[in-house]
Amino acid sequence: MGPAPREPSRIGPGLSSPAVDSYGPLCYPFRWLAPRQRAGASMTTLHENEFRLLRALAESEGPVTVQTLCAALGLDQSLVVAAGRALVEASLAEGQERSFDEYRLEELGEAYAREGLPERKILAALLEKGGRATVKELPELSGLDPKTVGQSLRFLSTKGWAEKRGGELEQGTGAKSAAGDLAADEKLLALLAREGTLQTTALEAALAAQGTRLEDALELLSGRKGLLRVKQRTERSFSLTAAGREAVRGAQLRRQVNQLTAEMLSDGSWREVDFRPYDLSAATEPVYPGKPHPFRRVLEETRRVFLEMGFSEVTSPFVESSFWDFDALFQPQDHPARDMQDTFYLSRPNRCAEPPRALLDSVRRTHEDGGDTGSLGWGYRFDEALVRRPVLRTHTTATTIRALAEDPRPPRKVFCVGKVFRRETIDYKHLPVFYQVDGIIIDRHASFASLLGTLSAFYRKMGFEKFQFRPAFFPYTEPSVEVFVYLEERRDWVEMGGAGVFRPEVTLPLGCDVPVLAWGLGLERLAMFRYSLNDIRQLYASDLGWLKEAASCR
Amino acid sequence: MPVVGIPVSLLEARMGGDLPKNELIEELQRLGCDVEGFATLTRFKCLRCGNILEITETQDPPALCRRCGMDFTASPSLRLDLGPSEVIRMELLAVRPDMFDPGGLARTLRGYLGRQRGLASYPLGEVAARVTVDPALSTPACPRPAIACAVIRGIALSDDLIKVLMNLQENLHWALGRDRKHASIGVYDLGSLPAGDLRYRAVGLDEKRFVPLGFDPEDPAAALTPRQILELHPKGVEFARLLSGFEKAPLLEDGSGGVLSMPPIINSEHTRVKDGSTSLFIDVTGTNRRLVGRALNVLVTSLAELCPEISISPVTIAYPDGEVLTPDFTPQEVILGVEDTARLLGVDLDADSLRDLLVRMGHDVEQAAAGPGAGSLLVHVPAYRNDILHPRDLMEDAAIAYGYHRIHPVLVPTMTVGGERPVEGLARAVREAMCGLGFLEVMTLQLTSEEVAFDAMRLGREGEQVTVEHPISSEQTMLRESLAPGLLQTLAVNAHREYPQRIFEVGEVTRLAGTETGAAESRRVAAVITGARVGVTEARAAAEALLRELGWGIRTRNAELPSFLPGRSGELLATRGDEERVVGRLGELHPEVLLAFRLRHPASLFELDLTSLTGLA
Repeated sequence: MGPAPREPSRIGPGLSSPAVDSYGPLCYPFRWLAPRQRAGASMTTLHENEFRLLRALAESEGPVTVQTLCAALGLDQSLVVAAGRALVEASLAEGQERSFDEYRLEELGEAYAREGLPERKILAALLEKGGRATVKELPELSGLDPKTVGQSLRFLSTKGWAEKRGGELEQGTGAKSAAGDLAADEKLLALLAREGTLQTTALEAALAAQGTRLEDALELLSGRKGLLRVKQRTERSFSLTAAGREAVRGAQLRRQVNQLTAEMLSDGSWREVDFRPYDLSAATEPVYPGKPHPFRRVLEETRRVFLEMGFSEVTSPFVESSFWDFDALFQPQDHPARDMQDTFYLSRPNRCAEPPRALLDSVRRTHEDGGDTGSLGWGYRFDEALVRRPVLRTHTTATTIRALAEDPRPPRKVFCVGKVFRRETIDYKHLPVFYQVDGIIIDRHASFASLLGTLSAFYRKMGFEKFQFRPAFFPYTEPSVEVFVYLEERRDWVEMGGAGVFRPEVTLPLGCDVPVLAWGLGLERLAMFRYSLNDIRQLYASDLGWLKEAASCR
Repeated sequence: MPVVGIPVSLLEARMGGDLPKNELIEELQRLGCDVEGFATLTRFKCLRCGNILEITETQDPPALCRRCGMDFTASPSLRLDLGPSEVIRMELLAVRPDMFDPGGLARTLRGYLGRQRGLASYPLGEVAARVTVDPALSTPACPRPAIACAVIRGIALSDDLIKVLMNLQENLHWALGRDRKHASIGVYDLGSLPAGDLRYRAVGLDEKRFVPLGFDPEDPAAALTPRQILELHPKGVEFARLLSGFEKAPLLEDGSGGVLSMPPIINSEHTRVKDGSTSLFIDVTGTNRRLVGRALNVLVTSLAELCPEISISPVTIAYPDGEVLTPDFTPQEVILGVEDTARLLGVDLDADSLRDLLVRMGHDVEQAAAGPGAGSLLVHVPAYRNDILHPRDLMEDAAIAYGYHRIHPVLVPTMTVGGERPVEGLARAVREAMCGLGFLEVMTLQLTSEEVAFDAMRLGREGEQVTVEHPISSEQTMLRESLAPGLLQTLAVNAHREYPQRIFEVGEVTRLAGTETGAAESRRVAAVITGARVGVTEARAAAEALLRELGWGIRTRNAELPSFLPGRSGELLATRGDEERVVGRLGELHPEVLLAFRLRHPASLFELDLTSLTGLA
């Protein structure tokens, strides 16, 4: 036996990995599909690489090694092996594997090949000394260190060159013949020193030419370290089976391709190929369309509902005078909602234009003692200095009241979907900016009942089935009502917004003497329910993951 | 809104027979009460000042008395555990202070449920006292001119009652008094007052000393001047703002010059209501005679509801311009048209049915005589109602009594043609085009800061932005005047998401303008693309595609803009015929801008002003 190999033997590329190939421009990953015999067809369909491999094998009578095939086809070893295995599975080819050892010298082996083995040096010195010498004088005679001399005694004996007797070494029976003739191991070393690396067969042949058997050489070297490296190798080849040759000869062979090309369409070759089947049940990378924000859908839906109900859309500026945001709505000037705590006042602009004098007078008197409205008023002195203070509008009722002032003649229905500002610290249910829909109906025939009907129609159109109206208080409406909708998932009533009939103290100073129905409803809540959000901030955080995933339709 | 706990036992004792809990909640909701539900409170009494403290089941027993500041951890024996009490928790209905307490609430329920008809009456005894009002209280030096007083006798003050009274006082301060500014209430032990007329007068801030509530009457150093109270006493410090600008302090004194209180700040210690007090003197001071009168009426009638055995005696208030008697329970008279009411509510009502509804709301009602007022009702509104400013308010009362749930919802019969604002149609077209180009719409906040809007964008701060006077946070100091920073902030929070990212926003930006309010909005669209190999070309392609979709010709020309890499920014010009004007900008963002927003990939953006493009806003 030769020396044990030092390194684990490693052969060829891994055969278990799927063939790597181009899957065309869409790059959908899919599971590797082993080509197989098409059931019941005399026609055989082959993938491109398999097809080419088959043709290459047909050019040679016997087995062709993978190495050769790689060069011939210009493919990676892994692709050739995969194609070959596919042909084997289809019984068109068979594969052969041949194991062999590969020999080459290690560093010490190369040195011995160059300078001769130590026992050869000792033998030469012994013969020079007349065939006998004491073991003690051998290092000096041979130029070797005593340790090497000691280790070499065993090999001198094995080869029959010398024998140790007592303190002396005495030449052996083979000594004379050895002097002119190399031993088997020396031949092996010399051969490998010349040739570098040799496979078993080549080595055997070369040694045989010198009358030596490889086994003998290896036997002599067994147990000697650092001389020889032996690696186990496998050589893979493929050859065609009879069926394979038949397939090549006959016309029952079809090419399989991944991609249908423009050329195939124009030259008609698509008829001669098969298309590789893809596993459509396999997972794919999702793709997403560009789309509107989910909250935008709610806002647009809200607008559409009021447009469908015959409302005209109006707007007003974000920066609003206290007059339109509060005073014109009969909001008492000391109302907590007007506190700096709740309302954003501005450092710039710091003054709005004064409202028309007659209107301001009329509003002032209404606040103070009811003016001509039949009301008691709030019973305080109205401070005209406050009306010009700009605020960020706290409700879109500022928008609808402006629309009312602009044209108070019935019948009119207007609405506004817009942002409003409250001095709220941001948390899971509060934002300093949010959306409201405000609407008014100016109509001789309007009543509290038609307010409830309009609100019902809105919430029904927005997808709520159960709603409830409860009394409420707002400074500018009377009667006032709060709308609650029933949420099945919460099993509870949730407040959605306020509404009412504008007070005469609001409408009469603006020149309107018919009922005006009004409402202001929050829209973030509606969106939160629709998209099952618990945190209002999610609407504005614009997490792209959520935006992509949120379905466009319910 | 503050939440009040109405003790169930007191309510049921006074509402004329109990109701199943769920029905009670339902009826309260139909009256407009925002009921949270039933809860159990545990109450403690401060044995030092008599204050009663309530905690919910999740709270720890109080460590301090909120009124006198007693530290119970040091003297646990001074905190008396009064045990649990079941309450209905509900938000205060600010306009109905007469429903803040179990007595008043029971009165409303009795009428509403048909257990009592019409106006509740409260007999008044003989005039018990007289208060002269100093004319100086109507001057700018000490503007607190109004006062209303009453004397209560024969009251047995249980801990329950004391707590109810304290809560009512506090809630009236909030609702009617605007935190004592317009009305503040004082309650005193009548027995501590000597005979003789009381005086409500303005005194110099250093003129007079008294021992404020919670201070030791035996300690000579505890007698403080009004100025010292404002500076030293916890309540003085808390409410000092109410007397800011006052050169004098309002003071209520007894006939011997002893101080009852310094409204609206603090009572004196020696008039404190004690265990065993059976007679009370009550005052309400404020800015408006009607308001202080109403507050007194609410307090006194609610007390009478809770303790029917008490007697109420009026007090003469001698104003410089004449005398009045308080409390004044004369009903307010309002004429209400039957047909007007029916038409406004959209409910079939005749005079009888409307009268029934109003009677159930606690009013007395007379049919108006024939003549011009025919078809109207004369309604006598109880003197504890402060919210009936106009006949319209009684229409709401009628609607509540009728029941909102019974009103049949209808639609107005009039046909109108609706229509959207053109800018919204434009915005929709923009969104459709941007989505078609593969961009996701985002929505960002309207408020931003100079740091983000200018500094991070490498822009100067001398913009035309609208700025907030008292921002809540340093992140929200101005209205956005560009959409770009919000988009970049959005990219920053999405750094972990898949690339490339394409987002856009259509929205308003605000700038100062020569308009009526001093600022105006314009509608804009901005889009940003970020990813490993993104350059200005992507933004340009999208911007040009969008303008094309909107029906405009496009020209892009280089312009150096600080937010972008030199040589990679420009202006977008819209062209139509001979017309050509700058409507937007675009570029590849400057690395300093990317770093300021913590972005890790190159990005390019464009922003287009739709208002200057189309004239629509």
